[in-house]
Amino acid sequence: MCEWCEKYSDGYERWYFNPANYARRLYKIRKEESEALGAEANPQEAGGMAFIGQDYLEARERGDVATMEQIKQQVEAASWVTHFGQVLTLEEALKIVDMMYPIGLITCACRRSMQGVPDEENFTCIGMGAGMYKWERWPDTYLGGVHFLTPDEAKEVLTKLNKKGLVHTVFTFGTPYFGGLCNCDYPDCAAIRTVVDLGIKVVWKGHYVAKIDPELCNGCASCVHRCQFRALSFSPSKNKAFIDQFQCFGCGLCATECDQDAITLVERAEIPALANIW
Amino acid sequence: MLPTINVDDQKCADPLSCRKCLLICPTHVLGLGTNVPIQKFRETDPEHFVVRGVRVDKCTVCLDCVEVCPQNAIQVSFSGGSAK
Repeated sequence: MCEWCEKYSDGYERWYFNPANYARRLYKIRKEESEALGAEANPQEAGGMAFIGQDYLEARERGDVATMEQIKQQVEAASWVTHFGQVLTLEEALKIVDMMYPIGLITCACRRSMQGVPDEENFTCIGMGAGMYKWERWPDTYLGGVHFLTPDEAKEVLTKLNKKGLVHTVFTFGTPYFGGLCNCDYPDCAAIRTVVDLGIKVVWKGHYVAKIDPELCNGCASCVHRCQFRALSFSPSKNKAFIDQFQCFGCGLCATECDQDAITLVERAEIPALANIW
Repeated sequence: MLPTINVDDQKCADPLSCRKCLLICPTHVLGLGTNVPIQKFRETDPEHFVVRGVRVDKCTVCLDCVEVCPQNAIQVSFSGGSAK
């Protein structure tokens, strides 16, 4: 089972369906330094300076596995109490916007940081919860401002971004409180890049795994470009798409593109050897 | 050895609106950060934005960023071996 669900779902099907995890208090005395860090997490820093430092890259370059492992554990432990994400399907993302409030369409800090994308082209991120009432205090974080959305408007935005090919993820700001419903892609999402390139788990795989029905797959390959996790390839000899299920993050983008309904999402928990691959 | 990317922040005055190097890099190595912490009720001045080699493990030393920079602010050095 997903350890976050175990700790924080409180009887709900997933930890991100537990409304309490969207109800961070607006005002309180912060007791733990780590939690305070999460609350003040600077998305700009998270994007630009990207979870991982030069020390890790250098250790990797010289093949120093022990140092790599040590840094990985430190970065993951810090990220898991302050700011990390989990991949969602479109259906799950749509369900979340029905339960959290307020919903603010904001600019993506990662894309601003990696590509300097101008604000008017960059409204691809959804901020949510009590933190959104404080956005005016942090004009630099909310460059471009905030458009508050109704749940229906948010669903329209999410559906459009899914069509475009972006992966929905839910991010904590001071775990277990969620503050971001992000729409990510490789290589400019700091979290996806960090997990795909370096194996550092700042974004967890989702609760599903995609599976291809070889009978239904007609080899059109329209799904192949949808995968942001290097899990989906195309076998020319078989003329079928191929999914590396150990690498699949379960976002379902391939499935939403398949007009043959050849790709289904299977519960991760139902596949023994994948049940604990997060 | 990993390549080293040095950016002269004096010459690179407004990377947020220039962003030529960010866009040309074939492996998206470069990123923007700020050299001051985020402040309450204030936007960071453009001059405090800096370009850095964030994903330097993916730098192929093609030097496209060096060539595209109108301010000549980027230097990439590489002592050989294989970047990856």
